[in-house]
Amino acid sequence: MKSNLKTMTISLTVLTVLAGAALGIVNFFTADPIAEAQLKAKKEALAAVLPQFDNDPYEQCTTVEGLSVYPAASEGQAVGAAVESFSDNGFGGRVTILFGFDIAGRAKGYSVLSHSETPGLGANMQTWFDDEGTSHNVIGTSVPLKVKADGGEIDAMAGATISSRAFVEALNKARSVFEKFTAQQ
Amino acid sequence: MNALQVIVDGIVKRNPTFVLILGMCPTLGTTSSALTGMSMGLATMAVLICSNAAVSAIRNVVPDKVRIPVFITVIASFVTILQMVMQAWAPALYSSLGIFIPLIVVNCILLGRAEAFASRNSVLLSAADGIGIGAGFTLALTAIGLTREFLGTGAVFGAQIFDGRYGALLFILAPGAFIVLGLLIALFNYIKKR
Repeated sequence: MKSNLKTMTISLTVLTVLAGAALGIVNFFTADPIAEAQLKAKKEALAAVLPQFDNDPYEQCTTVEGLSVYPAASEGQAVGAAVESFSDNGFGGRVTILFGFDIAGRAKGYSVLSHSETPGLGANMQTWFDDEGTSHNVIGTSVPLKVKADGGEIDAMAGATISSRAFVEALNKARSVFEKFTAQQ
Repeated sequence: MNALQVIVDGIVKRNPTFVLILGMCPTLGTTSSALTGMSMGLATMAVLICSNAAVSAIRNVVPDKVRIPVFITVIASFVTILQMVMQAWAPALYSSLGIFIPLIVVNCILLGRAEAFASRNSVLLSAADGIGIGAGFTLALTAIGLTREFLGTGAVFGAQIFDGRYGALLFILAPGAFIVLGLLIALFNYIKKR
């Protein structure tokens, strides 16, 4: 079609109005399911890392030293809490991990929420550190940890000492926040 | 030119990955496993069919001088719709493909097909071209993903074939993507020539 100011203006205007309307309609139908899906992912992570609970840790979330703390309770008794911790010293930048602790301060479980670690190396942290009975297990520990390369007790992932350090840093940060949180209660 | 021929051409004669060598960024970035490669291919195919059909439908009312911005707007709209739908009903898949979904907008396969095919052919043929090129892209990405996943982790679509500890990690990382892509292009063209 011939291009002049009139046809170009009209066609672009009509197209952008139509595109905007289409996106608005789709957003209207997907906004709620998207929010639900994100909430569900968070709640599933909480259920996986915390001891058995019957309250809603997500609703009772508080912030301690900038980290979100999700307290868990069963029949009115506090049973532990989850801390959303992070480290900026991962091999690919920030690693965000949700750590769960029982009321005695022992690490109960963790869930890696987001990371940019190398596939096959650092990205294995989701399964590496919760292998009970091995020298790289952190579940059940209740003191600050270090990787073996730094004179500690935790075996780093082979070829991914930096990612392992970031993991341990995030865990120690979460533990210190958890202790401050329980001291406040 | 019938629709079936257009579809077959899209897979073999104009295969976007192995013949046109287009869309290399998602090809290299999302093929660390067969499943993510295939998902990326299918997502691109969905957008390509819609954008080809839409571009073809409006081809006679779009002034020539603004056709590129018009095509981009059409493509970007469909990508955004796909992104919202995936976030709502396939959040796990969405998070595994990450930034590569919004980046479909700048995949040159889409603009290339809009300009070279959809703006000159009927809606039916353009949709068929979208199916063919999309299927070609999906098959290529699945093949690359399959090879890389098998050599790198010993698994095929997540099912373990040999012990993952013996996998060559190189193939999961970026250099392995280039090596596998190059070898598969060579293999594809060798078979096609015969």
